[in-house]
Amino acid sequence: MGIPLLSLIVFTPAAGAAVLMFLRSDDAVRWTALGVTVLDLALCIAMLASFDTTTHEMQFTETHPWVPVLGITYALGIDGISALFVFLTALLGLICVLASWVAIDRKVKAFMISLLAMQTLMQGVFCALDLFLFYVFWEAMLIPMYLIIGVWGGGGRVYAAFKFFLYTLAGSVLFLIGVIVLYFNGGETFDILALTAQDLPFPVQSWLFFAFLIAFAVKVPMVPVHTWLPDAHVQAPTAGSIILAGVLLKMGAYGFLRFSLPMLPEASVYYSTLMLALSALAIVYGGLLALAQDDLKKLVAYSSISHMGFVTLGIFALNLRGLEGGILQMFNHGVTTGALFLFVGLIYERTHTRSIADYGGLMKVAPVYTTFLALFTLSSMALPGTNSFVGELLVLSGGFAADLAAGAAAVVGALLGAAYLLGMYGKVALGPASVGARFKIRDVNAREMAAILPLAVFVVWIGLYPKPFLNVIDASVVHLLAQVHSKGSGQ
Amino acid sequence: MTAAALFQSALASLPEIVVITGACILLILGQLLRKGQEHFLVWSCVAVVLIAALATLMLSSEVRPAYTGMFIADRFAAFFKFVFYLATVLTFLLSRKYADIEGIESSEYYVLLLFTLSGMMIMASATDLLSIYVGLELMVLCTYVLTGFLRRERRSNEAALKYVILGAVSTGIFLYGVSLVYGLTGTTQLDAMAAAVTGHPLDPGLLLAVVFIVAGLVFKVGAVPFHMWVPDVYEGAPTTITAFMSVGPKAAGFAVILRVFLNPLVAASDVWIIVAAIAVVTMALGSFVALVQDNFKRLLAYSSIAHAGFALLGVVAGGADGIASVMLYLLIYSLMNLGIFGIVIMMRNGDFSGEVIEDYAGLAKPHPGLALLMLLYLFSLAGIPPTAGFFAKFYVLVALVERGFVMLAVTAVLLSVVAAYFYIRIVMVIYMREPERTFDPALTPLVRATLAFTAAGTIGIGLFPAWFLRLAQNSVFGG
Repeated sequence: MGIPLLSLIVFTPAAGAAVLMFLRSDDAVRWTALGVTVLDLALCIAMLASFDTTTHEMQFTETHPWVPVLGITYALGIDGISALFVFLTALLGLICVLASWVAIDRKVKAFMISLLAMQTLMQGVFCALDLFLFYVFWEAMLIPMYLIIGVWGGGGRVYAAFKFFLYTLAGSVLFLIGVIVLYFNGGETFDILALTAQDLPFPVQSWLFFAFLIAFAVKVPMVPVHTWLPDAHVQAPTAGSIILAGVLLKMGAYGFLRFSLPMLPEASVYYSTLMLALSALAIVYGGLLALAQDDLKKLVAYSSISHMGFVTLGIFALNLRGLEGGILQMFNHGVTTGALFLFVGLIYERTHTRSIADYGGLMKVAPVYTTFLALFTLSSMALPGTNSFVGELLVLSGGFAADLAAGAAAVVGALLGAAYLLGMYGKVALGPASVGARFKIRDVNAREMAAILPLAVFVVWIGLYPKPFLNVIDASVVHLLAQVHSKGSGQ
Repeated sequence: MTAAALFQSALASLPEIVVITGACILLILGQLLRKGQEHFLVWSCVAVVLIAALATLMLSSEVRPAYTGMFIADRFAAFFKFVFYLATVLTFLLSRKYADIEGIESSEYYVLLLFTLSGMMIMASATDLLSIYVGLELMVLCTYVLTGFLRRERRSNEAALKYVILGAVSTGIFLYGVSLVYGLTGTTQLDAMAAAVTGHPLDPGLLLAVVFIVAGLVFKVGAVPFHMWVPDVYEGAPTTITAFMSVGPKAAGFAVILRVFLNPLVAASDVWIIVAAIAVVTMALGSFVALVQDNFKRLLAYSSIAHAGFALLGVVAGGADGIASVMLYLLIYSLMNLGIFGIVIMMRNGDFSGEVIEDYAGLAKPHPGLALLMLLYLFSLAGIPPTAGFFAKFYVLVALVERGFVMLAVTAVLLSVVAAYFYIRIVMVIYMREPERTFDPALTPLVRATLAFTAAGTIGIGLFPAWFLRLAQNSVFGG
């Protein structure tokens, strides 16, 4: 037994948060938080460096008894799918600290502690191999996130925080009951791998599928349980939005991949049409809503709903291209939308308005800013050469193979995406410089650049050469698909 | 009764004897004490409880029936007694400063708490409807007095009067049920009752008797439809007594409920349907009514009603896991509830009552540590991991699902979402408002110790529940 690398990755931020409690000056707090997130990212890179892409087995596993009477263990481990998101979480964690450097000017210590606590819990969700442990991480996230939105958010923050908290809680308590039912039907164990190997009768699978669906659909969010998202996004501070869009939304999709598909294969196949329909609805409806927004943050928030529709569409296409595209798109969305929220935050810090109508001709006053904004906007609308193109193409080809109508809806969604994103970019960056007349806008500085550049690198890297990323997930996806079809084909 | 049997009986009830003797001595000593020597009284009371705890610990190795089947010292009783000791000692620690602030000078305050403790202990050990009744009356008579202890305050007097009248009615109902049982089976012993009806179809008279007994006991834990006294009494009583009542007597009520309800007689009578209905309605009422409360003590009263409903679900589940889940729930609830009450008690200082939720606006700014503690207790009460409150609820749900009561479990968790709203509303007031006043909490070392202890328990049991879970499972009677 070597170094417990995953435990280190998960609990380094928490340890950092504990250290922060003893610091007094705000600057010390900021630098320590930055150091902790850099360390965590370094650990993740070390983990990826020794990650074996040829196997679907869980790697870096750790198991310790926790509550032996109930068969609860402290079990961590990652496969290709979780590895990607552990890395994404660490990356966005670092960017969140940078994004909050000056944007958060009161209760800095408490904010950074919440942020680091959040990071521990998110890493825990992706690493947990025990359902109970998973649930503890999953649910405990509500506490710091509630505070991040509610204390440091915008004008309507209290309402948004309540809505976020209650929606998510209501979704996940049903998941909890599902977990307990699964426990008794699956041989009194919370071990995710052991439960995956179980063959549950179809009626049980069916009930569990819907119990899980409610929890995951709220997180993704899928239409019609998406209404918490615009409020939470708009009111949250920039770092909160980045975490929400970048990582939290992925957890719903991750839940489908980790639980619904492998544990409930028959139900997943049986209800895949329903899921495709819901995904298509989310894609088109989210796109239409985004088209009508004047608030920059709201626009990105609604575009998230549309983009996450692509993800679930890919997952429930239940074929290799769809799944790989969906997972890659999860990563891409984390990078691209995280970046877009960062950009909205940056400009809001300067002008204190998010209304698109207030902007225009930003290109002339902040050329570097607008250039990178163009990159991420194009990435978000999946222009060839950017990361989302690869993901969306895979999803579309998988989607068309699974269901013609769903594929067609996705194409409509992609067109809508081009419309609202280009429209937004045109109004903000091009044309006469209306905002420049009222505000003196400085371009991005070095710290902001440090937050932007890593994301830009991934946009281009995945866009031009996605193979390393697909390699990481490939073995796990092939295995997952085999599980679904070997058991689910009975239907 | 031979001398040897008498000695055995006395030995089995040694903790009760210690507490009652200690209370009697302190009653006299208290009259001799001069003003300013209250701390002597507090520490003597704590010492009495600790001696009793030691005795309980030494006796807990084996099951000791005593007093010809009226009484038993088993691990089930020992577990509950430790919950009572915990509640009583923490109440003593919280009371010291609070008594000064409120102008409670009489030593009877502490002595009555000891007598209440002895009543609860008898309840936990009683195996006969009559000895249950003795313990019950000893406990509630003392709490009637303690509720009205703020003699110059109208609210306190009113609460005490309400409590006495309603309590007397419920005791009457209980006794009537006992008399019916005696008439039908010729015994009041729980085990003998079960033996008397084995093989016979249940007659309606017995069912009626059970319903009366249920009604009497449900009153004590504050479940619907006998909950009306709870908010008024909780609001009017001295806050330390409220804290104590929400934990100790409630746990004692549950100890009796578990003994009576999980007796084969009751288990055979489908009474669980009634209990399930009571549990769900109790949770719903507690959760929904708490939403509109502005007074912190009333809010906690409704919250305690909701928690009683949740714990009753463990009774519905029954079986070893069901019983253990109720026991664990009560232990954890005691810790987190005494913690949050500790803060309310501490805020009472000078002219500041600290009873209105708005009083806490912006507490996080001047007192981040206290705010963090409140955050911990409140999220634990709401049942959010990784706090102990989550594990308590989780285990009750496991017991329910094990018995196949999935729909009950779903109802329970959905209602707990409603309950979460009012807990996080307080968090909102603390963290998301600007302070409008300066806070001057009465933060004495004793209060600090209480808060540290309860906080350690709330987070500790949440992170490492295994040992406590096994303790509860090992303490289940007959298992």
